[in-house]
Amino acid sequence: MAPKKKEEPKPAAAPPKPPEPERPKTPEFDPASVTLEFTPEQLEDFKDAFQLFDRTPTSEMKITYAQCGDLIRALGQNPTNAEIMYVLGKPKAEDMQTKMLDFEQFLPIYQHICKAKDRGTFEDFVEGLRVFDKEGNGTVMGAELRHVLATLGEKMREDEVEQLMQNQEDANGCINYEAFVKYIMAS
Amino acid sequence: MCKNNLKSFFSFLFKISFTLYNSAIRAAVLIQRWYRQYVARTEMRRRYTWHIFQSIEYSGEQAQIKLYNFLGYLMDNFTPSSTERNLISHIFRENDVCWDSEWERYFCYKNIEVPEVYSGPHLTFPLTVEQAVGLLEAFRNKKQLHSRYVLELLLETWKVLRMMPNINRISTCQSKEVTICGDLHGQLEDLLLIFYKNGMPSLDKPYLFNGDFVDRGKDSIEILLILFSFMLVYPCDVFLNRGNHEDHIINLRYGFTKEVLTKYKIHGKRILKLLQKIFSWLPLATIIDQKVLVLHGGISENTDLSILAKVNRHNYVSALRPPKRRNHSPAGMSIDIDLDNELWNTSRILQRRASFTYPEPLGPKDCFHNRSLQDFSNRIKANTHNELENSRKKEDILAAALSRSQQDVLSLSTDSVSSDNVKEDWRQILDLLWSDPMNQDGCIPNEVRGGGCYWGPDVTEDFLNRHNMQLIIRSHECKQEGYEFCHNRKVLTLFSASNYYDVGSNRGAYVKLGPDLVPYVVQYQASSMTRELTARQSVGRTERSALKVLREQLFAHKSDLLCAFKKFDTENKGLVSLNDWASAVESVMHLNLPWRMLCSQLVTCRSTDSMISYYDWFNELAIKGPNTDHIDQSLLETLYRHRSTLETIFRIVDTDNSGFISMEDFRQTWKLLSVYLKMEITDEDICNLAVTIDSNHDGTIDIDEFMEAFRLTDKKSRLERGRSMFMGTASDLKLEEDPNV
Repeated sequence: MAPKKKEEPKPAAAPPKPPEPERPKTPEFDPASVTLEFTPEQLEDFKDAFQLFDRTPTSEMKITYAQCGDLIRALGQNPTNAEIMYVLGKPKAEDMQTKMLDFEQFLPIYQHICKAKDRGTFEDFVEGLRVFDKEGNGTVMGAELRHVLATLGEKMREDEVEQLMQNQEDANGCINYEAFVKYIMAS
Repeated sequence: MCKNNLKSFFSFLFKISFTLYNSAIRAAVLIQRWYRQYVARTEMRRRYTWHIFQSIEYSGEQAQIKLYNFLGYLMDNFTPSSTERNLISHIFRENDVCWDSEWERYFCYKNIEVPEVYSGPHLTFPLTVEQAVGLLEAFRNKKQLHSRYVLELLLETWKVLRMMPNINRISTCQSKEVTICGDLHGQLEDLLLIFYKNGMPSLDKPYLFNGDFVDRGKDSIEILLILFSFMLVYPCDVFLNRGNHEDHIINLRYGFTKEVLTKYKIHGKRILKLLQKIFSWLPLATIIDQKVLVLHGGISENTDLSILAKVNRHNYVSALRPPKRRNHSPAGMSIDIDLDNELWNTSRILQRRASFTYPEPLGPKDCFHNRSLQDFSNRIKANTHNELENSRKKEDILAAALSRSQQDVLSLSTDSVSSDNVKEDWRQILDLLWSDPMNQDGCIPNEVRGGGCYWGPDVTEDFLNRHNMQLIIRSHECKQEGYEFCHNRKVLTLFSASNYYDVGSNRGAYVKLGPDLVPYVVQYQASSMTRELTARQSVGRTERSALKVLREQLFAHKSDLLCAFKKFDTENKGLVSLNDWASAVESVMHLNLPWRMLCSQLVTCRSTDSMISYYDWFNELAIKGPNTDHIDQSLLETLYRHRSTLETIFRIVDTDNSGFISMEDFRQTWKLLSVYLKMEITDEDICNLAVTIDSNHDGTIDIDEFMEAFRLTDKKSRLERGRSMFMGTASDLKLEEDPNV
């Protein structure tokens, strides 16, 4: 039988609790405060990509908020969804398809994301996956990884998980995670 | 003591699991981030790949229209004795025969014998459903229908089609949903898949096929035969709309003509002629439950269903060319007459149409593009500034000329039909078959395709209100998911040829419509290989295909590109910056592609300071033919750039469809091409070319060998299913030539 936890002796006449310190509010993203450090060459590259995502009828060089994340990623960054929401000013769900961004508005957003550290190196990745490596043999169970990706963090949908993991598991349902990471980072 | 140990023990455990848990979350987030990046990048590659294929496809259609206009110009403006005229006149001669008895004799199949050894299906008429299904099975097993039966089937089809109105009207009911399919483009696999998934046509399962049954794929004739046979069995339950590819002019370039002539060596030409008539008799549109309009291309702001219901659709054999008044034949009758006394009154037969021939040429040769009533922008002149402005100006000139010539035209109409009516009718049909929707309001000419228009949501709204309808279903454009809604879900594009650009490029779809008139879309993809490819592999494959095609195009424009680069390379170092490279390439190619993005894929030779050495680049791109050193490089390049046109002209010239043309015809072809392209080709150049090709010196040239000799077709790069966008059906199609067929 587990030993009963003894009750902690009540503190005598606890002094009035000081007011909870206010959680420091993360300041809202201010595009004006971002200095752009892109070269003209880079700007041309961004324009090309921007145009590819521009779905406006008259090619007004505008994209929806919803596309912003895709564009940032297509250009080579890999922010979390939370980071994207942040730079967009935490828009409401219904605004994502309706509010638009033009190229000038996009640049400070992108600059901010570019400057963010912690982009995740190969080692970070492997470290992260090692957590699931129960037997310490360089493999993780595909099923477990799927479960994690669909339930933790910025959850992925089932079809997204399926697409990612397609053809990665061996006959026993295991994934060699170093190879897996190389595969993901190589795209 | 114990208490404290326990507490710290639990706290320790808690910390560990918390840390582990945190790690797990961090790991998950990391993977998720990377995954999302991977998806975004793949999406981007897919988009520009798509863009590449589409730009090139549509500019090919434009090129064909231009060629046809050019040939038309020659026909109208050369004196009868001109050799060029003789050469091309036979494709403009709508009917070789004048009288119905000759007509019947021409298409008579009765004396075509079917040999004992023929192993394909035998058909008896009237056709039964068992025979139709049998035909399907035979084609699935790669059999070919004997030409005798083909002709018989086509004749029966023609009889049925002639009785149909321009606009079919059908209705659904609870147990009878109609299945609507979009473009099939000769892809038999897709049709088989649709029938497999959805069931075959029957009294309870009506089908509507929305045009573009032929071209590009390799089984166009088989698809037609299947669709026609089911239509004969179930004339009230199988409906066909005409598409822009049901047009013999388009077929010349995009492979259907070649397919038929290859599969039916002896009777192919007759079959094609009969199909010409059949295409013109296909209904133009279908209305379901009076509320849903189904047609191939789209509408314009001028589309008027009441006009369309009354046009003589069979007069518009090719939507690219308005019907002409022909010169009188010796028999005193116009050649361009649909002679079938059984069904038509004499007065109809005597109806003439005013011609669009002008008594004098409109202007210098390079204005021949102005001839067309539908404004075709002149892209040979690479000046694209204000193209719309230019075309409007041309239209004014055209309108003025038209009114002037109307007085001059010798109209001998007994039943006089004013030229305005015909012009209007023709335009209505052209719009129906060639238009595409756009996102912005309004209606502008479709200059990318060269025919029809782009129409906006306001035009849709107005049209639907005017006709008291709720939905337009159309095809004509390839969509990645096989379908796409636009204009506030009032327009649905439906495309049924999966893997159209390449294996894995897109799905196909069909729609089921019941009395609630809510479209229910079913998607599919016809290739077992596709299912095994991951998304990334699919995109990668298609991307490689697109880039290959793009490289060929770039090489074909080498001279112009060189000029453009030199303008930027002021110090003549042979180097340009990335920016300049991209600008120069766009200014020559006019494909509106993201060149900077594509640069890394197209140019492997970059010097260290990220300048591009363009001479090295051209070497990279170069396509070498065998033993072509003695041939002028720029001639080779021209050959390459216009190879599709060249092959089309060859096929026109090859009047007996033998696959061989004589040296004399070869020279004539070159003369024709040089006029069209406004370039100088000396007789010496031609002789050099001939020497290279006619290796056995027997005075004839094998067309296919010629095209391959100059690497104008590239055997190795063909897709598994032997389909090419640019040359029609692949010339490496190893069709077993069944001598018994």
